Amino acid sequence: MEMKEISVKDRALLDALKAAIIALDEGEAVAAAEKVIAAKVDPQLAIRYAIAEAAIMVGEKFDCGDYFLPQLVISGDLMDVVTKILEKNIPKADLQVKKIIVIGTVQADVHSIGKNLVSTMLKASGFQVVDLGVDVPSATFIEKAKDLNADMIALSSLLTTTMPYQREVIDDLASMGLRDRFKVLIGGGPVTMEYAVKIGADGYGKDAIDAVEVAKKLLAVE
Amino acid sequence: MLTLLEIAERTQTGEKIEDKKWDKTFYDNITRLVKKYGIVVPSEHRFINMDDDLVERAFQAALEFLETTGIYCLTTRRRVALTREEILTAIREAPTEILMGSGRDRRVWKQRKIEGREKLNVCPGHHTPFSEDLAGLVVHNFAQIPRTDFIEGFNFTHIDGREIIGPPMEVYASRRQMNWMREGVRKAGRPGLAVVYYPINTRAEDLIGVMDPDNGLRPTDGILLSLLPDLKMEQDMLSAAIVYEEYGSFKLSGSFAIIGGFCGGIDGAIIEGIAKPIAAMIAYRDYINYTGVEHVHMLNGRQILIPHVNWARSVVNQALNRFSHTICMRWVIPTSGPGTDLCLWEGAMQATEAPINGMNLYAPRHCRTTVNHGQTPVEAEWMIEVSDAVIEQGFDRQAGNELLGRIAAKFENKQPLVGYDIGECYDLIHHQPRKEYADIYHNVKMELREMGLKTLC
Repeated sequence: MEMKEISVKDRALLDALKAAIIALDEGEAVAAAEKVIAAKVDPQLAIRYAIAEAAIMVGEKFDCGDYFLPQLVISGDLMDVVTKILEKNIPKADLQVKKIIVIGTVQADVHSIGKNLVSTMLKASGFQVVDLGVDVPSATFIEKAKDLNADMIALSSLLTTTMPYQREVIDDLASMGLRDRFKVLIGGGPVTMEYAVKIGADGYGKDAIDAVEVAKKLLAVE
Repeated sequence: MLTLLEIAERTQTGEKIEDKKWDKTFYDNITRLVKKYGIVVPSEHRFINMDDDLVERAFQAALEFLETTGIYCLTTRRRVALTREEILTAIREAPTEILMGSGRDRRVWKQRKIEGREKLNVCPGHHTPFSEDLAGLVVHNFAQIPRTDFIEGFNFTHIDGREIIGPPMEVYASRRQMNWMREGVRKAGRPGLAVVYYPINTRAEDLIGVMDPDNGLRPTDGILLSLLPDLKMEQDMLSAAIVYEEYGSFKLSGSFAIIGGFCGGIDGAIIEGIAKPIAAMIAYRDYINYTGVEHVHMLNGRQILIPHVNWARSVVNQALNRFSHTICMRWVIPTSGPGTDLCLWEGAMQATEAPINGMNLYAPRHCRTTVNHGQTPVEAEWMIEVSDAVIEQGFDRQAGNELLGRIAAKFENKQPLVGYDIGECYDLIHHQPRKEYADIYHNVKMELREMGLKTLC
């Protein structure tokens, strides 16, 4: 079922859910999700419409400076809560699997703010994000990506001397015969598109908003 | 003041906290204090703060924030708790002047006063990547700027033609950086000029490996040991701080707050911006700090100017100057690259703000810096010229606001310009800008004179 096929009443329920997420109101969002379920609105449609659109709106609010990193974190957590409520009412066979992204700041680099922004923006955009933190060795990225059957590895670096560790992950993937299994996205202060091409990354995000767009494109997510 | 050994012990014994909980506590505490102390962005748009009562409230909020939050040790995932008395003692005992350099190149770097009339201390360059073939030349050029008080190192991707990766190569490259710095200042005829090691990585071996009284870091030099955003510290940096405290070198920190990070918006960034240099002073004995607030969209080069960011920066620096011994520097991070008029206009704005808010000048550097792309000596020389003129003309906060409003109009409907590599807009052999950049410089200068900075000669 698509949006144009649902009743005005159901659309109002989905709009209320979307508005509660954008307002970061957990109580309202949970109540709205329960009303959606009670009204027997297709929960997959609710995820596609209310949550996906809320994610876009939250991203826009960050873009124009109304929201900041804490709000992104809160909205990401809230979308998780609401999605779980809705997914309980979707038959297992019909559940859409989220794309999984393993993210972290590479080895020997403890800078986190850029990585945190990208991580939370990806999460708010509907990806399942596993944030490994900072100073993450290549082997940890690869092991975690294998364990989770991830779709993408996202690598952040703020120092010129840690950029080579982005390449190391790509080289290690290749030597293990895993290069085609995961898309690799890179970014960070000194990192450029030219560098991404040079080391064989699949994508480069010049900032958090751009990184989300590149991730969506690489993983064919609408 | 707490000893660094006391801090080290607290990083091992403090309360254990996971990153995510720290980040949440950080935001919750700041949000609560923003409300409690009434930190409100004014409805009227200003570049320089005029509200002294707000400055006092902001400082009290920052003290309470530091007392209730502490500092987070990333290495051990522990909180370094601080009492109010310990914080106040550190503020009271910190010096307001730092001696640096030796012989005829000895300088005194001082805390400035709001609307102060003394000329600014200046670090004209680096903190940006240059390729190793240009290294010596670049240092030589920056060291030739007469007003240079110290000069900071730079980062690079290759050493002796090899990509730098891993501790042994980092240690080697760090030592080469200092060799280039020493050689560059010597060639400029200023052998005693203080140089500051710019950490190409934050491992203790890299930080400590540059000590070398003959060809590396001397006790009269300095080292950048920055506290990370959200009041986060590391044991490697602390190890280096302990070593350099004994060696005698001075220490600096990048202590601005980032609007859009875990401090939240402009109001929260004001509190973090005041608390962070005080925390850096306690954690690493960083007495010179580049202070203020920056916006994540400006650091990304997405927007040249964002309303109220300059005002917030002003509040932070006025608070630190009035109520602490923090020696403030304005780190100028233009969103446009060198060789462009917008880069010079951004520099003019910062060089107007700095003396009025009580800040010195530090290394103008393009926000999205790539190799050989970050800066030329022209931007620093320009800012020295502008700040001298602002002081000579006796600008107070009101006059500064008016001039800044006129400069800001230059950015309306403009997007940041990428700019040029140093070799494309600056002649490193003859120490002068290339003609196109020199013409831009002249035109911007004439226009700024017309805007009201009449003492610009």
